[in-house]
Amino acid sequence: MAYALIHATTRALYSQMLSAPVWNTLIHAPDFDTLLSELTKTVYGPYLQLDRQLLTPRRVVYQVKCHLAHIYTKLIRIAPDPAKQLLRQLWLVYEVDNLKAALRGIETGASWEQVLFLLSPIPSHASLSAADMETMVRAGDVVRAVERLKNTRYYDTLAHALERYQTEHNLFPLEVALDLDYRRELWQSIQQLSDEDRKYALQIVGTALNVDNLLWALRYRLYHHLSEEEIINYTLPLGSQITSDHIRAIAVGENLGEVVAQIYPKLPAQILNALNTGAEGLRTLELALQRHIVKICRSVFIGYPFHIGIPLAYLQLNTHEIRDLITVIEAKASQMPASTFVPLLELYPLLSEDGVNPADMNN
Amino acid sequence: MRKVELVVPEQDIVPVTEALAASGLFHLVPTEYFGDENVVGTGNKWHTWAITFTTLERRILMVMEALHVDAGSPPDAPHLIEPDVAQRDIEHLEKEIQAPLHKLEASQRRLTQLERYLTQLEPIADLEVDLSTIRNMRYTYVMLGLMPTANIERLRSSLEHIPYSLVQLRREEHLTAVVLFGLQRDAQILDRAARSAYINPLNPPETYRGTPAEAISALHAGIERTRQHIAEDQVELEYLQEIHARLLQHLLWRVRASRKLVETIARYGRLRYTYLIAGWTPASKVPLLQHQLETVSENITIEISPPKREREGNGEGRVQDQVIPVALDNPAFFRAFQGLVTNYGYPNYGELDPVTIVALTFPLIFGIMFGDVGHGLLLTLVGALLLSRKVSALKSLANMGFVVVACGMMATICGFLYGSIFGFENVLPALWLRPLEDIMDILIITGGVGASLLSLGMIYNIVNAALNKKWGHMIFNRNGLVGLAFYWSLLGLAISIFIPNFPIKTATFATATVLLGAAVTFSEVLARLVEGQRPLVEESWGSYLMEAAFELFETVIGLLSNTLSYVRMGAFAVAHGALSLVVFIIAEMVGSPHSLGYWLVVILGNLFVIGFEGMIVGIQTLRLEYYEFFSKFFSGGGLCYTPMSLVSKESNEA
Repeated sequence: MAYALIHATTRALYSQMLSAPVWNTLIHAPDFDTLLSELTKTVYGPYLQLDRQLLTPRRVVYQVKCHLAHIYTKLIRIAPDPAKQLLRQLWLVYEVDNLKAALRGIETGASWEQVLFLLSPIPSHASLSAADMETMVRAGDVVRAVERLKNTRYYDTLAHALERYQTEHNLFPLEVALDLDYRRELWQSIQQLSDEDRKYALQIVGTALNVDNLLWALRYRLYHHLSEEEIINYTLPLGSQITSDHIRAIAVGENLGEVVAQIYPKLPAQILNALNTGAEGLRTLELALQRHIVKICRSVFIGYPFHIGIPLAYLQLNTHEIRDLITVIEAKASQMPASTFVPLLELYPLLSEDGVNPADMNN
Repeated sequence: MRKVELVVPEQDIVPVTEALAASGLFHLVPTEYFGDENVVGTGNKWHTWAITFTTLERRILMVMEALHVDAGSPPDAPHLIEPDVAQRDIEHLEKEIQAPLHKLEASQRRLTQLERYLTQLEPIADLEVDLSTIRNMRYTYVMLGLMPTANIERLRSSLEHIPYSLVQLRREEHLTAVVLFGLQRDAQILDRAARSAYINPLNPPETYRGTPAEAISALHAGIERTRQHIAEDQVELEYLQEIHARLLQHLLWRVRASRKLVETIARYGRLRYTYLIAGWTPASKVPLLQHQLETVSENITIEISPPKREREGNGEGRVQDQVIPVALDNPAFFRAFQGLVTNYGYPNYGELDPVTIVALTFPLIFGIMFGDVGHGLLLTLVGALLLSRKVSALKSLANMGFVVVACGMMATICGFLYGSIFGFENVLPALWLRPLEDIMDILIITGGVGASLLSLGMIYNIVNAALNKKWGHMIFNRNGLVGLAFYWSLLGLAISIFIPNFPIKTATFATATVLLGAAVTFSEVLARLVEGQRPLVEESWGSYLMEAAFELFETVIGLLSNTLSYVRMGAFAVAHGALSLVVFIIAEMVGSPHSLGYWLVVILGNLFVIGFEGMIVGIQTLRLEYYEFFSKFFSGGGLCYTPMSLVSKESNEA
């Protein structure tokens, strides 16, 4: 019953997620201002109580993300150990993304003021504070910025990868090193859970990790045209769903549709076939896999409730909700018609009665 | 306290704010206080400046960190610095330290690199092979390097389809020194695999030739030279530190103070050409503040008014409570107990300050529970040690020194009354009673002490209500006159039942209890009647009576449990004696009296009693003060008087 409090809290938060009618209102808002005014009536309202002039699309996205940081803080505070550790680790993905954004900002000569609202909001439980990030950006160049991270969890990884950055003058090795390191630690946090909790964590976080891994491998091949050995070294087959053989098969240039079908046999044929067409097919697959994760998360809420799966599923769902919101915000800001961006949403179609329900892709 | 409202012309706003802060007398109230929609927060200029100053402060701190300069002490009355001026100064300083700092960092990186070469070469120091031979192998691919340990497995996996060998030389926490062997024909694959597995190849510069041992020797020389360069660079930075330290500290405090100043101005109300400021100042200090403000601004309008105790409303029907800050001003001894009170809350303005009564009752309650001459004197010594601030680890507890001394002294006095010293009950004569032998007596007496303290709490509540002219509350509140009389009638009823020959008859107390109980039941209605508030009952009479009956029951139970709660004082006095007895029983089991084992157990046992029971008794005392005593008169909803300052304590950290 260690999960009684976090379960009750998560249920209460879950009930605050945007409903299908609210999504419809947001999607069909005639312009950005109307979208803002509708958004203020939702759970995101308190984060948008700023001067209208300040609420640029970028700032709105930042403010919306504050909700995610807030609920992470809340759930981490009440989570029992070692679930607390896993939730903390899960949140670090935003910190890693912040680090990458800061490094890109430095590389392009952006000021701290320009970088700040591109970051995810930094809650109190973060290992890098806003001041740390600012110090890093103000350092002016990547090497000095990494030096500023001394005594943080990221220093060893970045300092080692720095040699490649200095040779190749490209942030890619730094970013990949951060991603691999983060996911390895996340995997270790899952292994430290009890059998029951690990089962749920693998179902949710494990699936998300596998999806990341598969998409990385596909991107490395389709976009970056990397060699077999590079693709293998830049991926992490964690768990049983995606093996080294699958990664190798992708890397050596086997038919991508067939390889992905081995992993997700129930994935519709048109999605698998589209993979061989390149970038467009990859986008379709990515969308289908994200909806697959959403579906798994929603199923966790049915059945015995006192386990880590509930907060994990809720946090994952909230991540998707915010990603959908960002799509809608950016679409409205650029006056894009609903027909163009609605098919790109991950969570909304599963809420909407008319939405596309992807086939059950579980083995 | 006096309410101070200022109308300040725009051109004087900075000197006036500086004067307000320098006076240390003005407790600022946020703009909303005015409750007038024409008054709006000040423009974006101050907000923008606040952000600019925050950034500048951080940049100064970075320079100070690089030069190892501390923040120093804050000046008495810092003035606003223009952001442009501060920015120019900071840029100049940054520029000046940039070159030597980069030089130092480059030297440090080079040192790290050389030390890394050394670390990697040391495992193969015994190899009698020329490094250039390894570099120029014709058929064999060789790469010596350092890689993340976590990547080794993936590297092996990525090379499964070609012949290779990966030798681990030295494993550190995250990194492993490795040598990768393969065929030259697979060099491209091996290079890609090594790179993507993050092997940082060991490429000692061509200057490091010969065998590994020879290269190591050359590396040692290179490290020595680099260390010399670092020392020279540090001397240069030390020189810069020497000439710029005071300027940096001065700049830091001016920028910090400026940030606080503009943040404060941003909170003022503003009309077109004037600023509106409101706050509170102790009545005795108003003339001084007035004089200081008139010195810096000729056109300032100052309005002073006494606090209104009533709730005040405006024409639009909005009602706003005035929250008047409270400045607790107690003598040094009582101030030590102030922390115990403010930890619970601040008294409201116009209420009695409970610090004095806590300073008297806290040691009393503690002493009754912990009565022992030896233990009390030891505690007194500990308190004196805390007060002396001679032990650096205990400096943060110095404020508690007086509390510990007072508790120790009261425990000593009670020790004499109980005839107990370090648990020995037969050394001193008991001047009053021995808790362990007179258990019922001590329990009844402490119950009586509790009833007195609860009555005192109620009297405090009556005085507070009278001071605030809440007459209905004073008379009819459950902790008012009627409540106190009801409590005493209940006590009288109990006493007359248990003491057969009590001079006042039980029937008299019973009648008083019934009548006063009825008054308590209708206390809310009667209080509203006296204070002229209508309607007398918020909902229906039926639901009111139902609720009132339950509340009367709750009141009786509450008074009973509050009183019995104090009986724990007696129980702890007994427990203290019993615990000491246990120590002696164990001591006798260990050895005969006067043996070393016996005295060792007695000493350790006494230390245990002082530490363990002392802590529990302290907590229980606090509990009796907070839950039993304070609940009768003290809500703790007051606001602490905090004069505005530009160099606050928290910013006094580098």
